[in-house]
Amino acid sequence: MTDPTATSTATDEDAVLADITGMLERLLEDEYGLDDVEIGMTTTFNRDLELESIDLVTLAGLLEEKYGRRVNFAEFVAGMEFDEIIELTVGRLVEYVVQSLKSAEAG
Amino acid sequence: MAMVDTGQLRVHVQRMGPRDGSVPTATVVLVHGLLTDSLASYYFTFGPPFAAAGLDVIMFDLRGHGRSGRPASGYSLDDNIDDLEALLDTLAVTGPVHLVGNSYGGTIAFGYAARHPERAASVCLIESEPATASWSRNMDGVLQQVLHELAFNEDLALAWIADNRSHNTARLAKGAARLIRETTLAQDMRTSAVLTEDQIRAVHCPVLGVYGGDSELALLTPWLEKLLPDCRTVVLPGHEHSVLVEAAGVVGGHVLEQIQKTNAQIQAATAAAVR
Repeated sequence: MTDPTATSTATDEDAVLADITGMLERLLEDEYGLDDVEIGMTTTFNRDLELESIDLVTLAGLLEEKYGRRVNFAEFVAGMEFDEIIELTVGRLVEYVVQSLKSAEAG
Repeated sequence: MAMVDTGQLRVHVQRMGPRDGSVPTATVVLVHGLLTDSLASYYFTFGPPFAAAGLDVIMFDLRGHGRSGRPASGYSLDDNIDDLEALLDTLAVTGPVHLVGNSYGGTIAFGYAARHPERAASVCLIESEPATASWSRNMDGVLQQVLHELAFNEDLALAWIADNRSHNTARLAKGAARLIRETTLAQDMRTSAVLTEDQIRAVHCPVLGVYGGDSELALLTPWLEKLLPDCRTVVLPGHEHSVLVEAAGVVGGHVLEQIQKTNAQIQAATAAAVR
């Protein structure tokens, strides 16, 4: 038997991953002139993409532009330890965004 | 991205307020540290909880740092205070504000309060001190070391940092080296004017100092408490200079408590004056 919610979750994740990948590509191009970076769920912001914390502030702005106030990246990160922020992956952000959009719908 | 043009500089500003749309109880300005720092240190730490506590939170990147403009010159302490003043004027924030500064950011915050006592409701110094002759000597020592180790033998220095500290620290150091190479920052800091003890003593608003127990700056606490008319210090054992990022929750709690206590005092004084 298939779980109907499983398919929709996967689709949500794919769509959000595509959105976030687009944002990161734009950021890497604008700030560092890079246009050939591979981005996936396991990509880390710090080590793989070499992003600094100020780049994450820019990303927070792009997320708000796209999803409005339903997604608050600053609050998400403010609850973390410093080392956790350094090790943050694209996948964790995708999961957080999917979760935030869901709870906004439910609320 | 929120860019504010003050006429002298394009400043990257991030502002957070109460999310329920209520009127903020006061404005707090958060000033970051030198070279490897940016407003991000606050954006992901104090910003959200301070806004949730009802404050209007202003965070900005110093000249040459983060996403703000990087002119070739104008990096003395007085230039940084001028930039802060111009920013608040441009934002039409003219009433008293709570000033919070980490490391060099606290020196700027204190300098602003010394220059404009009427515009400072309180000052929080995190691992920071007012600009004195000894501050100037220490700062110059640090900058000269960076100049030698990074600007003149950068690859070797960065490899050492990556091996002995972390990849992230090496990356931040690289950005710092670029800032020093591209600007007059090191020379400007060396010639920055400092405050006299009388000028420091004239800062009457409440001052909170927060220090890491393993930091040399913690030794300043008796001097600060004695010199300033209204000063309290907190020393957090087991931490060094980077106590803000290491213990953001605890440090933020102390800072917020100080701001709220000062706000209550201001409100009581205003109410008494009205009666």
